Amino acid sequence: MGMRFKISRRQNPRRLHSGLVLLAAVGLSLVICALLLEQQGKPSLRGLMLLFQGAFGSGWALQDSLIKAVPIFLCSLGVAIAFRLQIWNIGAEGQYALGALGASWVALHFPDLPWFVLQPAMLVAATVCGGLWGLLPAVLKLRMRANEIIITLMLNYIAIFLLDYLVYGPWKDPSSFGFPMTRMFSQNAVVAKIGAGDLHWGILLCLVIGMLVWIFLGFTRLGYEIRACGENVQAARYARMPYAALVLLVMAASGALAGWAGFLEASASLNRLEPSIMAGYGYTAIVVAWLARLNPLFIGLAAFLLAGLRVGVEQLQLELQIPASFGQIMEGLILMTVLGGSFFVTYQIRLLKKE
Amino acid sequence: MTENFAISLLAAAVQSGTPILYATLGEILCEKSGVLNLGVEGIMMIGALAGFMAAASTGSPLLGFLAGGACGALLAAVHGWVCLSFRGNQVVSGLALTILGSGLADYLGTPFVGRQAPGFDPFALPLLSRVPLLGDIFFNQDLLVYISYLIVPLMWIFLRNTRWGLSLRCAGENPDAAVANGISVTAYRWMGTLGGGFLGGLGGAYLSLAYTHLWSNGLSAGRGWIAVALVIFAFWRPERALMGAYLFGGVMAFQLRLQAAGTSIPSSILLMLPYALTIFVIVLASWRRPQSAMPTSLGVNVEPTE
Amino acid sequence: MKKLAVCLVSLMILSAGLAMAASQDFQVGFVYVSPVGNAGWSWAHDQGRLAVAKMPGVKTAYVEAVAEGQDAERVILNMARKGYNLIFTTSYGYMDPTLKVARKFPHTVFMHCSGFKTAKNMGNYFGRMYQARYLTGMVAGAMTKSRIIGYVAAFPIPEVIRGINAFTLGVQRMNPAAQVRVVWTKTWYDPATEKEAAKSLLDVGADVLTQHQDSPAVQEAAQEKGVYSIGYNSDMSKFAPQAHLVAAVWHWGPFYREMVTQVRRGTWKPKAYWYGLKKGIVDISPMAKTVPAAVQQKVMAVRQAISDGKLKIFAGPLSDQAGKVRLTAGQALTDKQLLGMTWFVKGVVGSTQ
Repeated sequence: MGMRFKISRRQNPRRLHSGLVLLAAVGLSLVICALLLEQQGKPSLRGLMLLFQGAFGSGWALQDSLIKAVPIFLCSLGVAIAFRLQIWNIGAEGQYALGALGASWVALHFPDLPWFVLQPAMLVAATVCGGLWGLLPAVLKLRMRANEIIITLMLNYIAIFLLDYLVYGPWKDPSSFGFPMTRMFSQNAVVAKIGAGDLHWGILLCLVIGMLVWIFLGFTRLGYEIRACGENVQAARYARMPYAALVLLVMAASGALAGWAGFLEASASLNRLEPSIMAGYGYTAIVVAWLARLNPLFIGLAAFLLAGLRVGVEQLQLELQIPASFGQIMEGLILMTVLGGSFFVTYQIRLLKKE
Repeated sequence: MTENFAISLLAAAVQSGTPILYATLGEILCEKSGVLNLGVEGIMMIGALAGFMAAASTGSPLLGFLAGGACGALLAAVHGWVCLSFRGNQVVSGLALTILGSGLADYLGTPFVGRQAPGFDPFALPLLSRVPLLGDIFFNQDLLVYISYLIVPLMWIFLRNTRWGLSLRCAGENPDAAVANGISVTAYRWMGTLGGGFLGGLGGAYLSLAYTHLWSNGLSAGRGWIAVALVIFAFWRPERALMGAYLFGGVMAFQLRLQAAGTSIPSSILLMLPYALTIFVIVLASWRRPQSAMPTSLGVNVEPTE
Repeated sequence: MKKLAVCLVSLMILSAGLAMAASQDFQVGFVYVSPVGNAGWSWAHDQGRLAVAKMPGVKTAYVEAVAEGQDAERVILNMARKGYNLIFTTSYGYMDPTLKVARKFPHTVFMHCSGFKTAKNMGNYFGRMYQARYLTGMVAGAMTKSRIIGYVAAFPIPEVIRGINAFTLGVQRMNPAAQVRVVWTKTWYDPATEKEAAKSLLDVGADVLTQHQDSPAVQEAAQEKGVYSIGYNSDMSKFAPQAHLVAAVWHWGPFYREMVTQVRRGTWKPKAYWYGLKKGIVDISPMAKTVPAAVQQKVMAVRQAISDGKLKIFAGPLSDQAGKVRLTAGQALTDKQLLGMTWFVKGVVGSTQ
């Protein structure tokens, strides 16, 4: 007598069930992390507590995680729009850089405009620059049939070196003692903090745009066409959907959103442009987007959780003196486990007794 | 002077292209089977570390090289497990693999920073190295470069002319047809994933055993990503991967030599060169091509049949 | 959902309790830009931290691989919130974040390495590495035959440019006709690219190589080619036993201990601490046997002269790369000018961008 498995797709995956499965996966990965900590000779329970405390366990921690989530969220929202159409935009990193460049250009050239003119102008510049950096691979894809993965990836490097060139050269602050950074933005160009805390108004922008994208993708004709085309380009063409226009649209929107992240980082976090603005958010965004199954609301949640994890790991580092690489291992394991766990959301396994 | 300069530049192109070549070939194998593995960077890191550790502890660079490949395959197995057994999203799994691999390599490798291990040194191949020009460029390299020369045609033949190769490609192009023909898609995808991981690991090991003879955290420094891009550049063909890797390595070596020769062009602009050139070439090449060479089912998990 | 909320709240209370249980020790925090294990810049700082940790009543902690910018601000802020008394931030990109946090925590002392800003509770510090560079330059100048010396450098920022200039002046003291060729890698840490950069310098005829990078790849390239090399950060002779002549090295320990003592005693002042050979914060490693005794003596004599303040390295007459006179005889560059040095002295071949 032997056992046999039967794997089949769930007909109606239920919300509660999905939630429980994912919670179990996260729990499992935390157990693995605890074991790893034990193996290091560190107190595992206290470690997990510290991780949680550092990420979500206090007002400060929540604030820190939220601030860190902002650029990840915006970039992720952007790439998700493109992924919906099966356009592989790996270029959020570069579009983010260009957005920061555009916003900085405005901030540096018109420092004396009142904030309610200057900041929207910076936002527009970030939209245009980021959007154009996204459009370029779209045009090359449509006109020259150039694969967007490679073009967007290469454009990332070019954008970073362009930023480097500007801050090491023409845009360098004369009073910075030769350090690669632009002048400090004027107060008018800095997105203000909400009340007395560290949270800036950019978070509101995220909420609004998150809702808008959710509505756009879920409840508008264009949003429907994007998904339909993404699922089957041939059929969509047959139904006379404007594929080329959609490609241009999603890449421009994708780039613009990453550009906004660049604007907020330069304005609210750094108050100037400097090479350290490049922190890999564009790549993190891809993980977040797929993890959230390209759903804008889940992207918000996933960005927040991942940001929290990274913030919490710093706490773990400081308190238990574990190496930074340990944090990476944990992040990798958690992602893998959650991913593996999602199997049980989509499929069900039944044991069959073999006669 | 100028002739020597050109020869040394081209020889440097081959050497700095080789680790990328190994990784690109690996990713081609993997993607041909229908599995997108964006974790090449992590695999190279692990390969570099494992290669160095094994060479340092056994004293045999060749064992180290193989250990690099084996550990690369081991890490790729995690990707295979998540994507092939649990049907996880290949993009996320690959990116997570990069994070996991570089974290693991840093974590396990810290005690090995600053240690010495035996490695591979260049030697002239008899006869071939005496061919004018070509000899100095291609046949005054280390053993691992020569091995990479062999892998390219072998892979070309494997993919085109062997049954296994054809089945592997079928798993990537049209899994349904493969199943209909009695081919186990999952088995061939495992083969592509593990083989790809093995080659990626070899690329990493090249960095710690031949290119430099040291281990340090972050040794691959983005080369895994270049490999992912070069797969597309190569239209998923091994012989074009060779061109792409050498071209990329060559431009990188060229811009450094331009600086050494005393140019006044800002280094940021020079560093853009390899990437800009890659875009230029890919745009030209794609323009002339009627259709995409991408395996049709790349990145798409197969539904369980039972 | 309710259960979850209860769990969350109880966890919050628990963790708050953890945070309260801070010890009475004097807490010193360090923020590093790269992993400590890399045997480079951050490793040298961590050696200093270990020296501080040995002091009685002092507790140290560090966070490594902290990206400059937003992440740095959060990490520094966190240390301040946790009641650290003294926080060292060890990368130039931490300057603004440190200042921002310093303004919020007036009772915590902040020390930022390699920048130029100060506040009531924030000082900055650095070592006059250029003095050690000058000495290593002398060794290079004495040993070169081709009169071309290769310099693999990370980023064109003043710290690196200053080092290249001092090195070049040292070279010229021994060998006025020699030139120093610079290749920028735009990375602190990428051994393969560093090695390729070194090879490109060998190709243009360099027979002594040095570096402002964190990995020993340049040393290795010199060793393989059979030419000489000069190390940085720490004694790198084990990576290139035959090639390695001397290295310019950091010793942060004494300085960090001094700062901790000063802050505890209340004698610390928020100013720029810029110590040199005299205080031992920078030095050169023992020279290899290949360096002739006469050269070694000369170098050690100059070392003494710099240490005694008798020799100023950036003193006139001094021309820049293009031949324009920057300083006439009798003048010397001020610390402020040194801190913002963005031009190459005569004899350097390369771009400053």
